[in-house]
Formats: sequence, structure tokens, C-alpha cells
Amino acid sequence: MGLEDDLERYREVGEKRRQDLTEFIQYGDLGDSRPDEVKVPIKIVDPPEFVYDPRDIGGVGQGDGGTPDVGDPVGEPEEAAGDGDDGDDGDEPGEEGADHEYYEMDPEEFARELDEELGLDLDPKGKEVIEETEGDFTDITRSGPASTLDFERLFKEGLKRKLAMDFDEEYIKEALRVEGWGPEAVFEWARGEHIPVSRAWIDDADGSIPDGERSRWVSIEEMEANVDREATAARIRREGIEEIPFRRSDERYRYPEIVEEREKNVVVVNIRDVSGSMRESKRELVERTFTPLDWYLTGKYDNAEFVYIAHDADAWEVDRGDFFGIRSGGGTRISSAYELAAEILDEEYPWSEWNRYVFAAGDSENSSNDTEQRVIPLMEGIDANLHAYVETQPSGNAINATHAEELERHFGDDSNVAVAYVQGADDVVDAIYTVLSTEDDDT
Amino acid sequence: MSMDDRIHKQRIADSLEEPTREANRLARKLGLDPFPVNYWIVDYDEMNELIAYGGFQRRYPHWRWGMQYDRQRKQRQFLGGKAFEIVNNDDPSNAFLQESNDLADQKAVITHVEAHADFFRNNEWFRMFGTDPEAAAMLERHAETVAEYMADPEIDREEIEEWIDHVLCLEDNIDQHRPFSTSGEWEEDSPTGEDIDEQLEELDLSSEVKREVFDDEWLEQISEDEDGPTFPESPERDLLAFLTTHGKAYDGDSGKAVEYEEWQRETLELLRKEAYYFAPQKMTKVMNEGWAAYWESKMMADENFATEDEFVSYADHMAQVLGSPGLNPYKLGFELWQYVENRRNRRAVIEHLLRVEGVTWRNFNDTVDLDAVLEELEPDPVVDDPVGHLEELDPEDPRIDREILSGVRDGELDHETVETYPWKLLTYQGLAERHYSLVKREHRGFLGSVSQNELERTARYLFETDRYGSIEAAVADVDRTAGWDRMFEVRESHNDVTFLDAFLTDEFVEDNDYFTYEYTHTTDDFRVTSTDAADVKKKLMLQFTNFGKPTIAVEDGNFRNRNELLLIHQYNGVELDFREAKQTLERVFELWGRPVALKTIRKEFDEHDIEVARRRDREPEPTEQGTLIRFDGESFEREDLPDESVADIAATDLDYDTKPDEWL
Repeated sequence: MGLEDDLERYREVGEKRRQDLTEFIQYGDLGDSRPDEVKVPIKIVDPPEFVYDPRDIGGVGQGDGGTPDVGDPVGEPEEAAGDGDDGDDGDEPGEEGADHEYYEMDPEEFARELDEELGLDLDPKGKEVIEETEGDFTDITRSGPASTLDFERLFKEGLKRKLAMDFDEEYIKEALRVEGWGPEAVFEWARGEHIPVSRAWIDDADGSIPDGERSRWVSIEEMEANVDREATAARIRREGIEEIPFRRSDERYRYPEIVEEREKNVVVVNIRDVSGSMRESKRELVERTFTPLDWYLTGKYDNAEFVYIAHDADAWEVDRGDFFGIRSGGGTRISSAYELAAEILDEEYPWSEWNRYVFAAGDSENSSNDTEQRVIPLMEGIDANLHAYVETQPSGNAINATHAEELERHFGDDSNVAVAYVQGADDVVDAIYTVLSTEDDDT
Repeated sequence: MSMDDRIHKQRIADSLEEPTREANRLARKLGLDPFPVNYWIVDYDEMNELIAYGGFQRRYPHWRWGMQYDRQRKQRQFLGGKAFEIVNNDDPSNAFLQESNDLADQKAVITHVEAHADFFRNNEWFRMFGTDPEAAAMLERHAETVAEYMADPEIDREEIEEWIDHVLCLEDNIDQHRPFSTSGEWEEDSPTGEDIDEQLEELDLSSEVKREVFDDEWLEQISEDEDGPTFPESPERDLLAFLTTHGKAYDGDSGKAVEYEEWQRETLELLRKEAYYFAPQKMTKVMNEGWAAYWESKMMADENFATEDEFVSYADHMAQVLGSPGLNPYKLGFELWQYVENRRNRRAVIEHLLRVEGVTWRNFNDTVDLDAVLEELEPDPVVDDPVGHLEELDPEDPRIDREILSGVRDGELDHETVETYPWKLLTYQGLAERHYSLVKREHRGFLGSVSQNELERTARYLFETDRYGSIEAAVADVDRTAGWDRMFEVRESHNDVTFLDAFLTDEFVEDNDYFTYEYTHTTDDFRVTSTDAADVKKKLMLQFTNFGKPTIAVEDGNFRNRNELLLIHQYNGVELDFREAKQTLERVFELWGRPVALKTIRKEFDEHDIEVARRRDREPEPTEQGTLIRFDGESFEREDLPDESVADIAATDLDYDTKPDEWL
């Protein structure tokens, strides 16, 4: 019982009421998610109430430095429902417009769920040797989970520090009672004696010495001869310790011994045609198809990296943030992208260490002969678990847009090349299925 | 909690010991009378939990708290994670301070909290729930009860959560103006038709009277046709009580209404009790927040409770709180309280000035030099800077705290203490003069803005018109505590509705640039419709009356003679949100177990009228149509009612429409 419990129940309820994944992929708002966090809207119904119609009730506002004129428009009142229809008949609760809650899943969960919904079965392969954490907690590091904190060591270091910082206060105060000595002289002297006292402390203590006692000792020598300096250890034994000065820098965390293991790592190359013919609707379909593929592969592999290549007649590498937004003029030469992809993969992602996926999307338009003469040989030359081309052509095939067909004709049912056609959002999930179910097990 | 954590919190608690102690003393000096407050130091996560739980540590289990917590966390992450105050209405009150706030913020919270605790204790609306809320204990008990039901293998947890949701839809459908009573007590107080015979017996009437007045015909009439009587006798606004007493659950398997299970009845009852507990806070939001903001500023800024270097951060915080856009209850309340204070102080001054020889309301503006009056009203240097005048202070002066003064003079109290807290040397009366509102820079114009009308009205109620020989003598006699005294009276008896009604004056609306807006059909957006004070007030009242929600009442628990439930919407010119209303009816069905209906009035716009209006740049006139919506558990049906059937619920002289007649 308690909030933790409520939070867990909320996750359960959220999972149950979240939008169906295929529906989410095809029609949902993908823009709220991040590469490492998929946010699926939850249909949460806030308890309904008897309330006034938000339009009919109007409201009161306060002018910002002056009264506005009658007839001036005011911003949408905060509480006005987004849809604004009179809802006379059965709108589903929790629809667009209302505040969404999100069921957040990491890519692993996304991949698991998608496997389940689409009946996929993609088995990632281990490649590069990396370090894994498994074994006894014998090593020590400076940060880690609280449960692995080496408290004994922290305490010892604190104690050492305490001993080093401590000094006999009474002894210093006696020095202030030497005739003619002020804080400055005492500080100099204490420094010489290696007593770790601050000037501020001495100034403070000086104020508490009654005037009558200021010349108790004729000289420092006389004081030293008559007053015993008590060792810190003796004092601690006598008085005990009130407080141990713990310092973050003393914290050490026990860390498990390192065991080697192969990591399942993947690089995904996303290629997109950004030429003039790729209008908004085509662009959106590419995003809808590629984004879930990215999540899926991120979730399947231990380590996923992404390369984004945009091209028209030339190709260039871009950041993910820019990838789906770019529009360019110019013609189209798909091979330019594969040339760049081959270069990047060879340099940074050797086939011996990386699983590779090369996904391209566009409207199938290409320069004449480019597909046959350049692209196909390039694709054959790039070792990869899977090559895919996704044609996004909302209006069906254009006459000279034959790239996808040519690929299909050439590769046929060849194991590791997938070709998918997306005319509208309805086709997205099928395309994803086509792509992900094509990978051959013995690649 | 780790040791580090504990040490850290302890250190903060130590550093706040003096501020909390002194804030309470100062509050008491200023005339506040707060519940004792327990302060708790909490970390960021704990603060989020408290916010999600509505200011308490334990609530009944429900996933919605988890959702709120999640929302809260994300929102505060986004906003930078500062929270300023959580205090709950309890005796003692509990207030929570977030450890990461700096000292200036903590002090601001503490002063704010003391004022809330005073409001909780002294505002009469909070007494509706009884004299001792025992809130934390009650909510914890509720939490345990519900948790036990949930742990019961016979009861499905989800079913309980759903049941709670059904009830929460109606949490504002209580009778918040009546003192809380358990639904058992409520039932005894509400006669139903079934009891009529019994009641007639109790009345002990002679048989002649019975025969004459309560004849069979009458009995039959009130019992509607053959069998079922109509009840309640008059429309009942406490839907939750009515349902607890007469409701049934709907059993989907048998398709029949069945008696509530024990857990259903208990859960409904405890949620109803919580609704009554939280109602006063909803009813006094503007007053209560304004009250806290007012006294916080008195203490923090005017009494230098914030040290100089803390002041900037405090001022920044205050500006944020008061500056958030839209209709801001903090700001509205704060301004209204200042207005209450100024207005009463002004009246006290005017009353005295009108008693000066030769001054009448007619010649007031020509004979009285208001700048000179303000000069006279400036606080005596002795109260303005008591520490600087320590030698001159007179222990017999009612403005001086005699005990503290003698303490300082005897050396029992060190000088430093009164230098830090000069208010210690003063009494309530002394402090009232020290902080006298009319001479403050921001209010200096207030005295001069008195209207001719107010002068005349004030003069009319004065009996002794010639008492003072000079203006100086009259001003010297002005009671400087009048403003504060009035504020304390008002905080005792008002709620937001009466508060706005009484103090939201034309002058106030105009000074603060308030305006109303409405949806306009011709432009399909919201437009400013009026800056007239009366219109603004009308709209504002609508937002605060009955939690800003339409009034719904039970009209008949035996509707159509079939034990259906008929609710009525007491229409005031603003129609319901029908989508929400229908969804709510579905939930009411779950709590009633049988078909439910709602009688209301709907506004209809003719397409043609809209078009014509658009062309003429006017607003179309709606037709008001009586409507009955009925839900039988599966589907809705809607029936138009003739005007005479809705005469009982129709708006009479109420009109919340502020659109000008000639539009634009």
C-alpha cells in the first residue's frame, strides 16, 4: 500500500488502456516519443462530471496593463474542451484534444510487444566481444548504486579526516592568553606547530577571552611549558565523537568482477530520398515506417547505432533530428546514398563486429539505369543482415517510378532483400512486417 | 531514509526552528490565531507524493494517485521542481517544507502556512465538518478500510477502483452549505413519502383535521397514482447521501438491481465524508489564498522576516505566484483583502473628518486637504522604529508590549533580538499603526478616490456631526486597527461567493482591468464582451457558486413509478456540457442500479438564424428547449419537454449572458 503501489497500478491500467500498437504505429502521434522511449497514448477517462458547457459559460479575464475593448478576441480559455462539439451523440471518451497520458515503454518492451502482435521472430546475433558485469563484487569504483556502497571504508576515511582536522581547542585558547599576542600571532604560531586551525576560528575564540586573562602567560614558551597539549586520539577516547565528516569523495562502491561476453550490436542505416518529388505525405509515410523499425531494432539488440543518409542526386549524412524534415530540390540518384553507406559501414562498422541493416525509402523514382547499373551491384556488395526498400507512393505507381519493381525483379525471393509498398498509413504495419520477416536466419 | 539524508534533514530542521517559532509569534501579534502547525522537512520525491495525495501522507489505494504522482513528477521536472507550500487543514495542521528550497523560500512558506492555519481554524465554513477535523487520522482510516477490501480475495480490486471512480464523478454533488452528517443521520432528517403515515401519527392530529386536510384524496395525490410515492419531498442536492440511502448496484449477470455490498456502501460513505471534508477548501479558495498571500507579505516584506539578501528571492517568488496569467485566485484574493482593509480604513477616516467643524459631505473636497490628512496618518516614529526610540517608549502606551519592553530594559532580553524582530516591542494596536494601509505608497491614492456617493452615505449615518475642532484632532482619533479588525470579521464568516459579492465593487473591477468574454457564433471564437463591473461580477459569481458547477438535485426516486431516478438541473441560463452529462449519467446508473434520467434545458441555434446574425454582425438568439435525457443501462433516449414541464427548473431573473445587445 502507498504511492508506489498506486504507481504500479497506474502502469498496469495504462498498459491495458494504451492504444493498440499497430493502431499507434499507423495513426498515432509518434512525435512525442524519443528514440529510447516510446510513448503510447493511454485512453484515460477522467471521471466525468456535471459541468457547464464551456462555450456557454464564457468567463472572466484580467487585462494586461489596461482594459481590452469589447469585441477583442481572447485566447481559447484553458478549460474549454478541444473538440468543442456539443457531443450530442456518443463521442468516445478520452479522444483527441483532451490531455493525454502516456504509457511509456522502452524499446525492449516495444520489440517484445510487436513480436507478439505481428508474430515476428527475429533473433539477434552476438558479434563484438565486450565486457559484461557478472561475478563477485570485489572491485571498487567511485560511483554506483547505493546498495553497493562500501560503508566501512567511508566511515574509516571519515574518521581519518576527523582526526586530521581536529585540534585541541583549549590549547589554542591558552595561546591567546599570552601577553601581547593577538589572533595573528597565534595563527602564525599554530601554523608552525602544524595545528589545523583556521584564522576565522581563532578570531572567534579571541572574542571570548576575558580581558583579565589576556596576559596569563609572559611568553609562549611559558605557556607551552605549563599547558599540556592533549592528543586528538586521547580526547576522542575521552569525549567520544559527535560527528564524522563524511565526504562524497570518500565514497567507494563495490563493483563486480568483469566477465567477457559477446554483445549483440547493430547498426541501422536509414536512407531517404529527399528530392523534390518527395512531398509531405510521402515523407510522413517514411517516418511512420522507419521510426518503429528503429525502436524495434534498438529493443532487440544490446547496442544499436543509427546512420541517417539523405539524398537527392547526391547523398550526405545527417542527424536523426533533421532526417525526416529535410527537403531538397534536384533530381534523384539512389546509388549516391549506397556509395556513402558502403563507405561509412566499411570505415566504422566492420561486418565482423556489427549486425547491419540498410533501409532505404523513397517514391521509386530514380535516374535512368541507376538502379540496374549502380544500386543493385552496390547492394550486393554491402554485407548486411537485411537490405530493404520501402516505396511510399500514396497515389499508386507513377509511370517511371520503377526502382522497387526492378529490385524485386532482380532479387526475387532472395533471402536478405525486402521490398515493401506503402500507399497509406494502413499499409505501414504490413510493410514493417514484410521487412522484419525477411531476414534470413543463416545470414 | 539513509543516514546522510537524515542528517541533512535534521540540519535543515534545526535552521528552521527559529523562523517557525518567530513566525508563529509574529502571526499571533498580528492578530492571527492559527492551529498549531507541525512542520516536516521532506525531499523532492516525498513532496511530489504529498502533492499527489492532496497534502496527506496516506490515502485510499487507487491508480489515479499514481497517475497524479506521475504527472506531478514530470511537470515539476519541467518547471524546475520548486514547490512552495503544502499545508493541510487539521488540528494540529501539518505543513511540508522541501529540503532543497532556500531559506527565503522556506520562510515565505512558513509565514504563508501560519495564515492558512489561522483560516482553517477560524473560518466558519470549515466548522461545517465539525470542530475537530482529525483529517490525517480519518484519511488513514479510510485508506485502511479500502485496502482491506482490496486485499479480500472475494472482491475484485478493479471493481473497487471503478466504484470509486463512479462516486468521484459526483463528489461535488453534495450539500456543502449544510453541516456534515453521516448518511444514517441524514436519512433520519429527510422524510420520505413512505413515512408519511408515520409522520401523520407523530403529528398527533385530531381525527377531524386528518379527515379534513389529509384526506384520502390528498394522500393519493402525493402518492402519485396507485402505488409508488414521490420522494424526496423537495429536491435533494446531496446526491451522494441519497444514493447511499436508496441506491442499488446493477448486477450485469442477472440484469437486475441488487442491494449494495458492504464494501460498496462503506466506500461510498467514506468518499462522501472526504467530499465534505474537502468542500470548505474549495469554497474558500480565493479568500484563503488571498489571506495567506496578504499576511505572508506583511510578515516577509513589511516586517523584514526575509533578511535583505533573502528579499530579492522572496519578491521574485511573490511576483511569480501573483503574476501567473488568467484569473488567478491568489492575486484576486490578495487584492480583495487589501481592498477590504483600505475600504474600512478609509471609512473610518472619512467618518472622523465629517465630524470636523465646518466639514460636510458636500464641501469635503474643498475643505479637506487630503495630503495633510495622509501626513497626519503616518505612523508615529515610536511605532515605526521602536528600537531607535527605545528610551522614549512608554510602557503604558497601549501600542507598546509592556512585558517585552521591561525585558529589554532589565537586560533579560538581549538587544539583538528586538533589533532583528522590532515587532516584539509592539502590540496588535502598535503593529496596526505601523502598517497602516492608507499611507502606503501603493495605496496613497485610495483615500482621495472616495466618491461623492460614499461621502454622502457615510454622512447620513453619522449622529454626532460636530465634535472635532480641527482635522488634526479628528485624525488623531482614528482607530488604526479598523481595517484589520474588519478583515478578521470577514475571514470568520464569508466564503468565496459572499466575499466576492460583498467586496468586488465597481471600483475594484475598474482598477484591476477585469473583463468578461463569451463564445460568439459569428466569429467562432471567444470575444471580450463587457468591461462593466456588474457583468464581471455576475460572471465571476457563476464561477464560484456551487464550485463553479451547475446545480443538480434529486427530484424523484420513484420516477415513472418504476423506481427510476429523476435528476433535475436547476437551470440558470447556462446549459450543461451534454457529453459530460451523459457520461455522468452512465455512472449514476451504476450507483442507482436502475434507469436514470435528467431534466434540463438545452439551447438550440437555428442555422438560418446564425447565418442571418452573421450577416448583420450580431449574435443569434437561441431557443431554450426543455429536455429529458434518460439512460436505461444500455442506451440513451432524449425527449423534448413542453415549457410547462420545465417551469420549475427554468431560470427566472438570472442571466449570465454578458453580450452587448448591439454586437460590435
